Amino acid sequence: MTFPLSKTLALGCSAVLLGPASGLAQDAEPGQADATAVADLSPHSKANLLAEVTAVRPGEPFWVGLHVALDSGWHTYWKNPGDSGMPAAIEWNLPEGYQAGDIRWPWPVRIEFPPLVSYGYFDEVMLLVEITPPTDLAPGDTVRLSGRADWLVCMEDCFPAEAPLRLDLPVSVSLDSPDDVIDSRSAQLLSTWRARLAARVPDWRATAGETDAGYFLTLLPVGPEAAHDITGEGVHFFPAGESVLDHASPQDLVQVEDGLGFTLALARSAFSSGAPDVLRGVLVAPDDRRWDEVGEVQALRVEAPLVTRMVTGRSPSQPLADGSSSSTGGGTGGVTDGGAVRGTLARPTLTLPLSILFAFLGGLILNLMPCVFPVLSLKVLGFVESAERGAGEVRRHGIVFGAGVLSSFWVLGGVLVVLRSAGEALGWGFQLQSPLFVGMMAALFLVLALMLLGLSQPGAGLGRLERAIGGRSSYPRSFGSGVLATLVATPCTAPFMGAALGYALLRPAAETMLVFTVLGLGMATPYMILAASPGILARLPRPGPWMGRLKRVLAVPLLGTVAWLAWVFTLQTGAVGLAGLTAGLCLAAAAMWVVGRWGSAVVERPTRQVARIAAAGMALAAVGLLVRASRLVPAGQSTHATPASAVADGSNLAATPTWRPFSAAEVASIAASGRPVFVDFTAAWCLSCQVNERVVLHTEQVRTAFRDAGVTLVRADWTRRDPAITQALAALGRSSVPVYALYPGGEVPPILLPSVLTRDLVIRALATHVISDSRNAPQGG
Amino acid sequence: MRCRRIPTRPNCSYVSLAIVSAALFLAPGRGTAQYAGPTIGEPAPEFTLPDTYGTEHALADFRGDWVVLEWLNYECPFVGKHYNSGNMQALQEKYGSRGVKWLAIVSSAPGKQGYHEPDEMNELSEEKGSQAMAVLLDPAGDVGRMYKAQTTPQMIVIDPEGTLLYNGAIDDKPSSRPSSLDGAHNYLAAALDEAMAGRAVSVPTSKPYGCSVKYVN
Repeated sequence: MTFPLSKTLALGCSAVLLGPASGLAQDAEPGQADATAVADLSPHSKANLLAEVTAVRPGEPFWVGLHVALDSGWHTYWKNPGDSGMPAAIEWNLPEGYQAGDIRWPWPVRIEFPPLVSYGYFDEVMLLVEITPPTDLAPGDTVRLSGRADWLVCMEDCFPAEAPLRLDLPVSVSLDSPDDVIDSRSAQLLSTWRARLAARVPDWRATAGETDAGYFLTLLPVGPEAAHDITGEGVHFFPAGESVLDHASPQDLVQVEDGLGFTLALARSAFSSGAPDVLRGVLVAPDDRRWDEVGEVQALRVEAPLVTRMVTGRSPSQPLADGSSSSTGGGTGGVTDGGAVRGTLARPTLTLPLSILFAFLGGLILNLMPCVFPVLSLKVLGFVESAERGAGEVRRHGIVFGAGVLSSFWVLGGVLVVLRSAGEALGWGFQLQSPLFVGMMAALFLVLALMLLGLSQPGAGLGRLERAIGGRSSYPRSFGSGVLATLVATPCTAPFMGAALGYALLRPAAETMLVFTVLGLGMATPYMILAASPGILARLPRPGPWMGRLKRVLAVPLLGTVAWLAWVFTLQTGAVGLAGLTAGLCLAAAAMWVVGRWGSAVVERPTRQVARIAAAGMALAAVGLLVRASRLVPAGQSTHATPASAVADGSNLAATPTWRPFSAAEVASIAASGRPVFVDFTAAWCLSCQVNERVVLHTEQVRTAFRDAGVTLVRADWTRRDPAITQALAALGRSSVPVYALYPGGEVPPILLPSVLTRDLVIRALATHVISDSRNAPQGG
Repeated sequence: MRCRRIPTRPNCSYVSLAIVSAALFLAPGRGTAQYAGPTIGEPAPEFTLPDTYGTEHALADFRGDWVVLEWLNYECPFVGKHYNSGNMQALQEKYGSRGVKWLAIVSSAPGKQGYHEPDEMNELSEEKGSQAMAVLLDPAGDVGRMYKAQTTPQMIVIDPEGTLLYNGAIDDKPSSRPSSLDGAHNYLAAALDEAMAGRAVSVPTSKPYGCSVKYVN
């Protein structure tokens, strides 16, 4: 369905003649303007074609420029116009044998009409085209370069503009030197504009990666340090593709270190149809800065390959892959290839059946982890005590206990699903990132330990609590002990669990819940089997005075847990926080003693009531202290956006100054430069992490191996909530700690080490993946 | 939680207290991520806008019907290409006759290009021969921003369940030249044809082209 050109022009022109003041333009009737239709093909702008040569020489390419001069305040567009607009186009009508190259675009400026942003030019622009004449030209002939240019000219309202192009050039008499045909004036003008084309500078290397919200673009100086004065401050990236980035979003600068390059965080376009393989565009430095040593290049031409991709491809054109080949990623316990497991970045590493198997195994092994062991030993004692009451009841208690475990896993999974769908970046053990929760757990463990030590008298209100973990009487108590066991299990990640959880949390809610269910089943299974087998129970020792002694012994690991939680709390809230916690714990202990001494049924009623009120008051005060203390942050930290380094500074890092705080950009940039990086994803509340660090990573032997391999050591501390680390974990297909990622450098994807480390395993992984490639050795450390 | 039934049992209350307090503690500090616009495959954002005759239309009223949203500015040359050639009216008529509810939305602010008082807008629509079911007025630009409408024209397809199926350009020729309609691949028609035939939309989004939406400053 075509339409006469004149009518369109008439419409455009009528608006021009009646002025851009839209009040008038609204009243314009298309018919009225027909008489003036011929008047102005290019409103608010003039275009003009010029060449750098005065004559054409056979086969010798030369530059021509389409110069567009714009009225003050009006603009036209870059090759990517941004949110609205249209780039100029030239339709050439050249003599046979002549070829015109693509338009070369000087770098643009940002044109803001909130909420929209366009890219273009004010005042004037020269669009450059290289023309290549054929080799067989007859001297003396005249060559006519003709065609038509059209562009869009806008203030806020827009008008299409067009101009016929015509340029006559003689064919040069042969044997003249090329210089003779240069038109000095227009050649100078064109070369001024050519300097405004983006250029490649070998001193810089660009890499990119995909993130949840879009992309990061990292620029690394690879040339001599003095060759540039770019810090990253004030640079702006203009993407070549129209639907890659959200043009209006701010481009956040992540500075690595002076002279070490920088990273821009770029937001994804709402109209994106999948990540590009290469992020292309122009990076413009501030007016007083240049990218190169000579000081000529202000706009850097960027072609950054995407080296990392998100696991969660949201775009419909990139469905999550889970094929038969995807099981190779294996679990943390699936040791292959010299102990190291190859991580794949682009997709979940497990299939659903495999992750269910891993979840079950992980749940089983969870029982042996140090956080769960004390509580579960008590549970076994409970079985011993109740064995005499008959196999049926023991079996029923076993089932109720399992239900308690299972329900708590459902609550945990449900809370995680809900919070993640609300945009929270959370993973396994998330509740321990809350200081209040850690404080409450410390108080709970202290109370349990004091009861085991016999502080409370039989018949006192708190005596019921003791029996809850002994599991001797009612079903609610068995249920409660299941809940308790799950609660204390969360700081631990057992082998196999990491991979299963990582898979679960990236899948739809139903699959997440399924994996959590199986984890719970795995954890509850040994007890249910124990409870259901009278044969095994019969072989356990008979109840007797030894049980009282054993209880006192088991109080010791519980107190150890209190000490550990206090340490975690200190890292989260600082020394003042610790003071609040210990004061709260003292009050709680005192409250327990009061209840134990005067609160039991044998004491007279008025005394008992006073004691109970006093104890309740102390308990409330203890909770109040904990709540207040948990709001504190260590000195020198802000309440939100806690950098990982801040927490790390307070911990044992002082002893190992070689560990740097985590920054995804820094890891990407160092790895992109070809140097190896080891990232320790850890948290103070993660016991397996602490064990691995003390027994393996921080030993002299392993440190030496890291140093010899030139590995940059990075510690991602997840003790407090940190969305950046959660996201980095997600990119590795995980949502729990510990995770140990070894980036061999270059574009090789990271290798994930198992969650239970040995020195040998780390050293072997380094030997296999890093040292074997001598190019990865750092230049001078 | 089962514990609620027996609140006097300390073992239940402390455990629930711990879980609840953890959940509460985590509740504040929601993600502050910038609104990224409507998502393909998700429910289309709900809105209610008056048309040029003063009738209120809520998107929710159209459950059970296919809906097209068209961002409109009659003075925009890119919109002009589609109306002066009869291309837009032909689409409106073709899909309107198949039961598609076609809503044109004007998000131009008063005093800016494309804004007209309702009566003027009706005259213009009649003059252009618009076959849209209604022209909705969004002078505050709220609905435009909600849908991340950037240009006129920009086209949206919503299925009878209220799910967003397409958001983007009308076709693949970003030009104001009428001749660019020849051989253009119309994304909107393709999306509607595929979706109404029960197939997946092969191109669910594309970069819209045209004039910027003239939002209020």
